[in-house]
Amino acid sequence: MESFPPLTLIEDMSYLSHDTGGVGHPENPARLQVIKETLELSSWYSSVALVSPNSAAREDIKRVHGENWLFRFEEAVLRGNTYIDHIDNQVCYDSYNVACLAAGAGITAINLIENGGGKNIFCLVRPPGHHAEHSNPFGFCFFNNCVIAARYWQKHYNKKRVLIFDFDAHHGNGIQSAFEEESGSYYISIHEHPSFSYPGTGYRDENGLGKGKGSILNLPLQPGDGDIKVMDLLDNVIPKKLADWQPDAIIIAAGFDAHCEDHMSGLCFSTDLYYKIGRKMKIWADKYTEGHLLSILEGGYELSVLGLSVESYLRGLTSE
Amino acid sequence: MYIVRYMTPDPITVDPSMLLPEARALLNEFNFRHLPVVDINKKLIGILTDRDLRSAYPSSVISESERRLVYERVQETTVSEIMSTECVTLGIDSTLDDALFLFDKHKTGGLPVLEGEQVIGMFSIRDLNAAYKTLFGVGEKGAVLIGLYDDGSQTIMTRLVTLLERERIPFTRVLRIYDREGGDVIYVRINTFKIAVILELFEENGFTVKAG
Repeated sequence: MESFPPLTLIEDMSYLSHDTGGVGHPENPARLQVIKETLELSSWYSSVALVSPNSAAREDIKRVHGENWLFRFEEAVLRGNTYIDHIDNQVCYDSYNVACLAAGAGITAINLIENGGGKNIFCLVRPPGHHAEHSNPFGFCFFNNCVIAARYWQKHYNKKRVLIFDFDAHHGNGIQSAFEEESGSYYISIHEHPSFSYPGTGYRDENGLGKGKGSILNLPLQPGDGDIKVMDLLDNVIPKKLADWQPDAIIIAAGFDAHCEDHMSGLCFSTDLYYKIGRKMKIWADKYTEGHLLSILEGGYELSVLGLSVESYLRGLTSE
Repeated sequence: MYIVRYMTPDPITVDPSMLLPEARALLNEFNFRHLPVVDINKKLIGILTDRDLRSAYPSSVISESERRLVYERVQETTVSEIMSTECVTLGIDSTLDDALFLFDKHKTGGLPVLEGEQVIGMFSIRDLNAAYKTLFGVGEKGAVLIGLYDDGSQTIMTRLVTLLERERIPFTRVLRIYDREGGDVIYVRINTFKIAVILELFEENGFTVKAG
């Protein structure tokens, strides 16, 4: 019988090199540092396997993004621009290479999963990805790490029903726009209601277009909503969809900015809720994908709770 | 804010002598609910709605013989016989607010737009929805709506806008709502994802952020 470490972490010091202009910017290197420091203090950390990622190849990124955007992004950083399109999307000279490495983490994880090198893998990456669209950066995101991983899984391992589940406080417009017109890829997002929250998409009735009709499930929450509402969705609403869709690969867009203390959203998740979400993800993976599960870090900006939230989620992922 | 930017220009119009089956085919083909009826000079003389047509056609619950009789009569009826002649209209200087007011007052779903007496467009409730969606930035990617309690001070709007401009925070819309029950609120649509930083900035500068 194959033996896997309970959890594999994909990480790399290079992720700290994406400089967004100092601590005034919420998406900064201290996020990963605080997560790492917290994980190192946890009792289960010694059993975790650590792996460095490979950069995503250009053709892997091009399955999701236009070549014009790749050129535009690379040229902007080489020219010394400090942001692209919107002042939120801060970049430095290394940002393009770091974004390629972030996009490559999911691919590295998939190759491990499919070749017996791990089952349950968490990618500790930045910049995040779920807002990035085909030709544009949005909300601190440049390449859509989750969708790039999904496309790789479909292309190289013939997955037919890839699911991305996104519990970041904000709607993943980039994931939705990539998937919404096709069958065989599914997106479920729990997020703060678009009337009150960035990026202003993810209304309940956005459920796919054309042959993708019914492949998107948006579950907006009201400001102030937290553990009770989320557990109701996880226990009673989402399982029906999973039973219909029968996913053969699951990617989790794991954002931690819905925490009560994180003021990037009005949602109020407890630290313990992330443990419960982690447990639930493991149950879904055991049921549908032989325990194979890929989680990729998205948002989470309040440093005082970010490390604990991620630790809580990972503990849930590995619980028996 | 003028409806001419959002209306359907050069709408399909019909002649008062047109027979009802032809008018019905037009409404069905183009999925319209309102057809302006005009004379040879494009002057508005009436409006034909899908409701007028439904009333003219035989009911599905009457007997077959009666039904055939009514149907035969309908085949020979002209638009001018059933159209409404008391038309509510919009002009080239009408605003979206004018249209909203008229839709609400007259319980209608579509209004002809006139230049002088000539029909130059149609403006429907659907057009109004689309226009307000754009104006309010609903569904616009990359923005967030933040509510601030209005403390009633005379300079609150000045302070708010000055703060946003000073801090170079991109914003597109500021909306002040007087609400006796829930408290007066100013909504501002901000085009940035740095939400926590901005909420802190508002609080530091004496504003109270409304939760939700």
